[in-house]
Amino acid sequence: MKKIFLGLFLALTFAPAFSQIFIAETCTISMFSATKMENIDATNAVTKPVFNCSSGEIVFKVTNTSFKFKSQLMQDHFNENYMESEKFPYCTFKGKFNDKLDCSTNGGDLISVTGKLEVHGVEKDRTIDGTVKMKDGKMTVHSKFKVKLADHNIKVPSVVGTNIAEDIEITIDAVFIPYVKN
Amino acid sequence: MKFWKALASFVLLVCIYQRSYAQDFDLMKIVDDNQVKKKEYTFATFKSTRAVNLHTSEVLGRRALDFRIAHRFSALNTGAYNAWGIDGPVNIQLSLEYSYDGRLMFGLARSSQDKMVDVFLKYRLIRQTIDGKTPFSVTWFSGMYYNNTNLSAGGPSENMYANSTNRLSYVHQLIIARKFNSNFSFQISPTYVHYNIVNLTKENNDSYSMGFVTRIKYSKRAAIVLEYVLRLSTYSPATYYDSMGIGWEIETGGHVFSVHLTNSLAIAENEFIPYTNTSWSGGVNGGVRLGFNISRVFAL
Repeated sequence: MKKIFLGLFLALTFAPAFSQIFIAETCTISMFSATKMENIDATNAVTKPVFNCSSGEIVFKVTNTSFKFKSQLMQDHFNENYMESEKFPYCTFKGKFNDKLDCSTNGGDLISVTGKLEVHGVEKDRTIDGTVKMKDGKMTVHSKFKVKLADHNIKVPSVVGTNIAEDIEITIDAVFIPYVKN
Repeated sequence: MKFWKALASFVLLVCIYQRSYAQDFDLMKIVDDNQVKKKEYTFATFKSTRAVNLHTSEVLGRRALDFRIAHRFSALNTGAYNAWGIDGPVNIQLSLEYSYDGRLMFGLARSSQDKMVDVFLKYRLIRQTIDGKTPFSVTWFSGMYYNNTNLSAGGPSENMYANSTNRLSYVHQLIIARKFNSNFSFQISPTYVHYNIVNLTKENNDSYSMGFVTRIKYSKRAAIVLEYVLRLSTYSPATYYDSMGIGWEIETGGHVFSVHLTNSLAIAENEFIPYTNTSWSGGVNGGVRLGFNISRVFAL
């Protein structure tokens, strides 16, 4: 009797406690600015966001210097003059899925997350929509939303005003897999 | 008794079971632990590939073409009638510079003074990293200069350029720089200058000097630049002075403008480093002048 209880006790306390955490296997974040003068785009492929399926929390931490532009000059200006990456090395999003996620059955769904988006040191409450597709333990997430430069205190001098849009379109494509602590 | 013991164990078990499911996870900590650690290089140690005259540790970005105009007026002390040097004689250098990979760059330049044509190569050997593991950048500079002046017959230097290779001179620099923070960068550049032929018998074909550049950025797009070249060897019986310049640099979009005061009329490295013949201090050889540099970078 004692042995049975002890056995159950051990089994339950050491049950895999991380089964509801998902981490991105791949995550591509791209930004796009379209104006009559020129289009600017950049991609960041090294971010690893994490979400907790049972609590619904999701966290992104993006390193600003990891955005790659096709022109080095644009990349330097982005980091030095606009994002001020030395002062603000990261952009973060901490939020929660508004509806309960089903991480065990296959299928697709529309989702929305609400949380705080911090860019250039300025935090803003945002609700962002997207789609999720669950297949065989992997969750594919896609989202497109706009970030207004003025919301985050990013100033564009009038000299280059026609080259940079006021709203930057962000696209996120990620594939999440269950997190295994190593 | 056995019953109560069993119940107590069961309740304890249920509590522990509930506890393991109610566990909070620090998601941000998981994100931090799994961040992809990529080597990020320090960007924009200087705003341009030149301070006033001296080359900085910066090399153009990948696929970038730089068109540059450097202009040096006559000395301010030539007075009001000469519009404090604006009326001339002046020295202008036009150059076109390019980098394919953002690490190696080459350039082609021509100065009006002495009709000096030069080509140079500049290579980033070591790049400073943001995480501090590499605390400074090291760039190598090599320039080859060709004095294209027609010599008048009968002049003392007629035989000097009897062979066209006599017209060549070289400058090699090891540029060591560090960006301390977004407002302050500092650089030293030990320099070697070689002339294939020199004018006076007592003059040395080789000279050594140390360049210093300080950049103080006081706003997002503007900075003050100070440069000084300390000559280390005695290479000529004639009087020359250390080149020193102070500049105000401003950047807008793809342009970098700099307006400065310097004692050197020459812009080409083989001339301003060893042969500046006007000084910052007054007197008979005093001569500080206004100058400007324009750099327009095209992303190809």
